[in-house]
Amino acid sequence: MSALTQSADPLQLDNAHDYLDRVIRELHGLDTARKHPLLGVLQYLSNHIRNTRTEIGALRPGEPEASMLSSSADELEEIVAETARAANEIMGAAETIETLCGKVDSEASDVLLSAVTRIYEASAFQDITGQRITKVVRALQHIEEKLTALVAICDESIDAPRKAKTGDESLLNGPQLAKNASSQTDIDKLFDSLG
Amino acid sequence: MSFNKNMRVLIVDDYTTMLRIMRNLLRQLEVMNVDEASNGEDALAKLRKEPPDLIISDWNMAPMTGLDLLREVRADAKSRHIPFIMVTAESKTENVIAAKQAGVSNYIVKPFNAETLRAKIASVCGVAA
Repeated sequence: MSALTQSADPLQLDNAHDYLDRVIRELHGLDTARKHPLLGVLQYLSNHIRNTRTEIGALRPGEPEASMLSSSADELEEIVAETARAANEIMGAAETIETLCGKVDSEASDVLLSAVTRIYEASAFQDITGQRITKVVRALQHIEEKLTALVAICDESIDAPRKAKTGDESLLNGPQLAKNASSQTDIDKLFDSLG
Repeated sequence: MSFNKNMRVLIVDDYTTMLRIMRNLLRQLEVMNVDEASNGEDALAKLRKEPPDLIISDWNMAPMTGLDLLREVRADAKSRHIPFIMVTAESKTENVIAAKQAGVSNYIVKPFNAETLRAKIASVCGVAA
C-alpha cells in the first residue's frame, strides 16, 4: 500500500519516522512542482524526529546527564540535613543563654529572654524550608522517572499524565508560596466562620 | 484568659527540630509537663497509655498524618474531649475546613510565634483569670 493512501492508524514515533520517509520517497516520484514546499516541510520534520530520538537515546542511565537530576535531589536532601544541624546548633546556643537569664538582673533577663524566644521562633525556618525542598526533590524524582521511561521506550508514547491527588492525599501540599499563603489572621477568620 | 501551667501536653511532629522548638516555647510559657511523639501512630500509643490535657500536632507526617490522628482521637470516647491544636504549614482553605470537620480545637499556621501559641492554648484550655 502506498504511504500516501495508507489509513491514518495511530503511529508510534518509530513508525512515524519510517512513514514520513516513505511519504517523502513517494512524493519525490510525483511529477508536479507543487510537491517541493511539502517535501521541504516533511524533510524538516523527519530530520527533527531523527535528531530528537538520537538525543533521547544518548541519555542512558549512568551517564552524567542522566544522573544530574538524582544528584541534584541528593544535594537538596543534604541541604535539608545541614540546615537541620545548623538549626539545632543555634537552638542549643540559645538554650544555654536562656539558662543564664536567672543569673542576671531583671531588665537584662527580660531582654535576653525575648531574644531567645525570637531565636526559637526563627528556628522553625528549618521545618518550612525542609518541606519546600522535599516538594522539589519529589518533582525532580518524578521528572527522572519520566525521563528514564522515555529513554527506555523512546519509540512509544510517554505515560499518561500523573493522576491528580484525591481525598486526604490532596490535602498534603506542604507550605504555600508566600504570595499565595494564608496568614494566621486569614486562618483565624476562616476557622471562626466555620462555626 | 490564662491556662493551667501544670497541664500535660503531647506534642507531635516528625521534625525533631520542631519538637525542640515547641518544647522550648512551651517552657517559656511555663508549661513543663511535655511529652513528644514523632508521628500519629506514636502519639496514639502514648495518649492511650496516659491521656494528655492537650495535643499539639503537625499535619504532614507519615505513616499516620495529623488529620488521621485527630480523627482517631475524636473517634475514641476516652480521648474525644482532649483539646487538639493543629500546627502546620498546610494553610489552604480546604485544609482548615477538613481539620474543622474532623473536630480540631484550633489551627496554627507555620511559621508561628510564641504569642500565637500562647493565645491558641489559652483559647482551647483557658480559664478566666
